[in-house]
Amino acid sequence: MTVGAPATSAPAAPRWLGCECCGLVSALPADGALRHCPRCQHVLHWRKPQSLQRTWAYLVAASVLYVPANVLPIMRTTQAFRDRPHTLMGGIAELWHDGAWGLALIVFIASIAVPLMKIGALALLAWSAQHAPQWRRLERARVFGLIEAVGHWSMLDVYVVVLLAAMVRFGALASAQAGPGLLAFAAVVVLTMLAAHSFDPRLIWQAPAPRDP
Amino acid sequence: MSDPDVSAPDSRAAAPPDAALPEPHIVRSARPRLSLVWLVPLLALAIGASLVVRSILQTGPRIEIEFHTAEGLEAGKTEVRYKEVVIGRVQAVTLRDDRQHVIAEVQLDRAAAGVAVDDTSFWVVRPRVGVGGISGIGTLLSGAYIGVDAGVSSEARSRFTGLEVAPYVLRGEPGSVFILRAADLGSLDVGSPIYYRRTRVGRVVGYTLDAPHDELSVKIFIEAPYTTLVTPQTRFWNASGVDLSIDANGLSVNTQTVASVLAGGIAFEQPADSPRGAAAAGGTGFTLFADRKTAMAPPRGPALPVRLVFDGSLRGLAPGAPIDFQGVEIGSVRSAALHHDAEHRRYPVQVLADLYPLRLATLRSGSPTAQAKDSDQALLQRLVDSGLRAQLRSGNLLTGQLYVAMDFYPKAPPQKLKLQGGVLTLPTVPGTLSELQSQVAEIVAKLSRLPFDDIGRALTDTLRQADSTMKDLTPEARQTLGALQRTLGSTDAAITTLAPEAQARLGELRRVMAGAQTAIERLDGSLLNDNAPLQRDLAQTLAEVQRAAQSLRVLTDLLQRHPESLLRGNPADPALPERGRAP
Repeated sequence: MTVGAPATSAPAAPRWLGCECCGLVSALPADGALRHCPRCQHVLHWRKPQSLQRTWAYLVAASVLYVPANVLPIMRTTQAFRDRPHTLMGGIAELWHDGAWGLALIVFIASIAVPLMKIGALALLAWSAQHAPQWRRLERARVFGLIEAVGHWSMLDVYVVVLLAAMVRFGALASAQAGPGLLAFAAVVVLTMLAAHSFDPRLIWQAPAPRDP
Repeated sequence: MSDPDVSAPDSRAAAPPDAALPEPHIVRSARPRLSLVWLVPLLALAIGASLVVRSILQTGPRIEIEFHTAEGLEAGKTEVRYKEVVIGRVQAVTLRDDRQHVIAEVQLDRAAAGVAVDDTSFWVVRPRVGVGGISGIGTLLSGAYIGVDAGVSSEARSRFTGLEVAPYVLRGEPGSVFILRAADLGSLDVGSPIYYRRTRVGRVVGYTLDAPHDELSVKIFIEAPYTTLVTPQTRFWNASGVDLSIDANGLSVNTQTVASVLAGGIAFEQPADSPRGAAAAGGTGFTLFADRKTAMAPPRGPALPVRLVFDGSLRGLAPGAPIDFQGVEIGSVRSAALHHDAEHRRYPVQVLADLYPLRLATLRSGSPTAQAKDSDQALLQRLVDSGLRAQLRSGNLLTGQLYVAMDFYPKAPPQKLKLQGGVLTLPTVPGTLSELQSQVAEIVAKLSRLPFDDIGRALTDTLRQADSTMKDLTPEARQTLGALQRTLGSTDAAITTLAPEAQARLGELRRVMAGAQTAIERLDGSLLNDNAPLQRDLAQTLAEVQRAAQSLRVLTDLLQRHPESLLRGNPADPALPERGRAP
């Protein structure tokens, strides 16, 4: 990854900056001071600082924690003298065995597939921003939009477990406790959101495309 | 592909220079500046690694347990519990290759790794309902689990064969195991209680029937504080059922607790007369008696087989009938079989019986502990020499039950004990009944020898002769009778003529008698009546005589004391004491 800018086919110097918050376009002064949007006081960046590096870091952290999130039990239920831990995949398998295929599919997509796809897609975006800047830029931009939109839905599992742990308290008959896997899972979701947030979509469009207008 | 400019936003040095000016050297930083954000994946890595390390540390050995059936076992759900603490979980349940058993793969916790040793036993705890109680209630709700009795071996092992039933003694449970040899199991079962003074102190933990040796041994477990109650003298008996007995005190019903009546049980007690010894060591063998009476009876000791040969019928002699020696049971009949006595051409019945020489120990001249067979034989020979004989007697007149009585018959011909095939033959005498039978038979035989025919014939002849004699005598008798009749008729006539005369005489006699009576009455009035003058005079005379006798006695007294008064007269009376001096 390169942070410095090679001077070779550099585009024309930016003179204008758009605000990421309110969309106001303001002129870019030549000094290196920190700039704020004159309308909404949002910090203005030419590019997000250390965008790729941050993205990569969050992605690595998320993929590391993805393993315990799936291996460790996310919930422990005590039901009539019997203590049972539940892992994510185990719960999905139980739903599938019980015939609740729709539910199993939903949980699988929301809890397993989406975080995995987010990590993969962000990794692809970050890689291509460095090594293949002109490859399918429009699709990449759409993928990024999808990631942004879908990200927080992954927290559903965490909400469900926290609700169960808070509400199912019947002494020895039935109770539920959150397991260590839940923390890891929540961390994965949060880290992927941070990674998506760190990625600057402007990097997709940075390189001049020969066919682009 | 050309290297694009992906410079950071702060690379403002990329402002377009004027063409005339020289371009500055742009130096790429040799190593890219690392952001602090890289601490995040490092942290994640650390957390993940710690979780992985912890789970690796927590994971113990994986073992396989073989069971006959997988009933109640569920992969991923069934727990393995030791003292009700979960130490592992069944991961998979598979069939063994030969399809005879199932194999439960169990993941043990790291902390319980020490459980996977050679002598550990596993079993499936399922709800169990028996007469003796209900166990495993918790499994009704939670499902079956695998129970563990941890071994103490140091040898690790990964394949186990599960027990089908839970062991009834857990390792380390305080108490002792004893072995009882029993004739039959009765209603005992594993788990049946052991009672001491009707207090539950232990339980039956198993029984084995050793088919080759035909022995039934019951394993019992006595719990810890009560093990000292079991001494080498302790007697155990089967306390199942109701013991009903009729004795001199009337009907008595003896039972242990209701539970033992229903579910069976064992009771034990120490005979009152035996010394209280030290506690028996664990594993000691005892005999399990059928009931309390036999258990508390004096010890029989080893049986000495004896043979008794009887001539008469043994109908009524059942196996188990007692051998009674002056009221003490010293043995029992084992069997009876026919026997051929070629010498006498007879078929006597040979009875095999067990004799308990220990019951005769007090008769032994030497030390009572000497129990060698020789001394038994010597003792019996001595008793036989003194006239000891076996005899069949009727124990119950109603049912005709027989028993063997040993008694002394000093007049019996001397006999030697015969040892035949290791079995002593004791001499016998015929029983009272058979003796009677033989006597009656003798009498009948004598009777049958009498010449009844001849006697009858002679009697008939005699009667015929008498008949002819009578016939010869008949005319004479008739004449004699006629003469007798005539004589009687003349006598009658004589009496008839004499009757009026006799009547007159009788009237006269009556008058004389009346005269005599009046005379006697008159005499009675003058003589015997109190008012008769003769009587009164007599009484007065007698009174006079009495008074004369009194004065005569006074005179003789006076003369005896004062003989001089005959000459000097009466002595003067002594002076009376004065009245004033009187107190």
